[in-house]
Amino acid sequence: MSEYLHVQNIYKDFSGLKVLSGVDFRVQEKERHAILGPNGAGKTTLFNIVSGKFKPSSGAILLRGRDIAGQPAHVLNRQGLARSFQITNVFQELSVFENIRAGVRSRLGLRYHFFRRPDHHRELNERTAAIVEQVGLGDVGHLPASVLSYGQQRALEMGITLSTDPELILLDEPTAGMTRAETAQAIRMIDRVTAGRTLIIIEHDMDVVFALADTISVLHYGTVLASGRPDDIRNDQRVKDAYLGDG
Amino acid sequence: MTTQKQGPYVLIAAVFAVGAAMPFLIQQYHLNMLTEIIPFALYAVSYNLLLGYAGLLSFGHAMFFGVGAFTVAVSLIHLPGLSLWGAVALAIATTTAVGFVAGGLLLRHKGSYFALLTLAFNSLAYAVATKWHTVTGGDDGLSFSRPDLDLGFATVSMASRTNFYYVTLVVVGAAIVFCWYFTHTAMGRTVLLMRENEERMKFLGYDTNISRLILFTFTGAAAGLAGAFYALHFQFCSQSAISVDMTTAVLLMTFVGGTRTFWGPILGAFFYILVQNYLSDVTDRWPLAMGLMFVFMVLYTPGGLSQIVPALRNLVSGGGGTAAAGAKQEARP
Repeated sequence: MSEYLHVQNIYKDFSGLKVLSGVDFRVQEKERHAILGPNGAGKTTLFNIVSGKFKPSSGAILLRGRDIAGQPAHVLNRQGLARSFQITNVFQELSVFENIRAGVRSRLGLRYHFFRRPDHHRELNERTAAIVEQVGLGDVGHLPASVLSYGQQRALEMGITLSTDPELILLDEPTAGMTRAETAQAIRMIDRVTAGRTLIIIEHDMDVVFALADTISVLHYGTVLASGRPDDIRNDQRVKDAYLGDG
Repeated sequence: MTTQKQGPYVLIAAVFAVGAAMPFLIQQYHLNMLTEIIPFALYAVSYNLLLGYAGLLSFGHAMFFGVGAFTVAVSLIHLPGLSLWGAVALAIATTTAVGFVAGGLLLRHKGSYFALLTLAFNSLAYAVATKWHTVTGGDDGLSFSRPDLDLGFATVSMASRTNFYYVTLVVVGAAIVFCWYFTHTAMGRTVLLMRENEERMKFLGYDTNISRLILFTFTGAAAGLAGAFYALHFQFCSQSAISVDMTTAVLLMTFVGGTRTFWGPILGAFFYILVQNYLSDVTDRWPLAMGLMFVFMVLYTPGGLSQIVPALRNLVSGGGGTAAAGAKQEARP
């Protein structure tokens, strides 16, 4: 294992409001890293910075040793980084297939081509169909995203995230709003589709975190309170006081 | 499956065949009108790629139409021996350059900012056309004559309106077909996906600013080609080609035809030019009548004329499906 990502001393404030004050943690290659923390701890802001939506006020993000902080989202995606969204963020009017094909197209370098037609590109359509199957939407591939059930929309969200074949996946509360049974199913799917990739996951749900994560970082008021193996985190007194204790 | 794939091509071939037969079927007066309609159809189709497909409301499309028209007029007057192809190629080159520069300044803006900035650009271009009298002829406009077409083995006289009609049908018609093809290409799909969810596209590796610039430049060049043929048709170009009125015209054509299908704006161009021609024979106040018609269309058939066709089909076949769903098919698959 080698170090894949080092989030180094990240600060972020929004017009005076300090959201992150010195977040620092490391993610090894192929590791599954969970970011745990109460509401308002700055988890989604952290994701928005790592994925290129926001620039940090200061600090560095080292991806294989190179600082990528502040680069735009599309550049980061092309370097192998993909993210999902807490609030489903898909192409509502378009079919499931077309939703996922957008990312596969990007990965194959067919973003702006003026003459090639996606409908006539065999490899593109085969790869797309494979991902549609992988996330369990094979039966509804032709339907517009807007008619899918909530669980299916979440699966589509996952499929779009996978569509650019990323090395590093950031999942923002993938099981938010799901029932127990749906959550268990989602954990199995995440486990399956992220095999062999590096994963950072934001989650409230302890079951999900302890089922998936190799390493956990606890975010509290904009700093990392503790970072370590699940068992160590469970027994960490500071974490108990700040977060787990009152649960 | 085969018929489904070949369907559009059969239809295109049929339209061209009917177009080729037109000089034998209709009078010269109507043929002239048709020669005017075809460039306007391209103008409206290119506009709808912005409005319907990309969701960008532009008030500056006449800038491209006008620059295309003026480029043809000015170059044919000042460059003796310039061929028809040369003038048309120059028009495309100039409008591409204008699209690239204007688009580069606009591409970070969306919604009403984009709309107002395009209006500002159009007004600027209009002011230049009006004031730069030595080049554009100002209020008087520019008269010129079409050069004959040199095909290498033969020379075709462009003084003949029928011959010019054929050139328009082939060249502008091919451009419209390419615009249709474009909507199925990777770039065309990218534009559509961006309209649906631009943020997500960024996170999938798409540079959405560059995409908008490419689209803006492409639709500008297409409108420039339309403007070039408009000027060649009348053998005259005045500042009206670049005026905000010309933007309003394309807006009307596109809305009247319908923004939800590819062919809606073509229908709109036919409707607009035909009605305008007949109304202007009857009354000088034809814009008033056009305006009223527009108001009624927006109120009662927001999907435009192209919405009426599937609605009628449903009515006849007694199908329960909604007309809107059928009309949406092309632009929102």
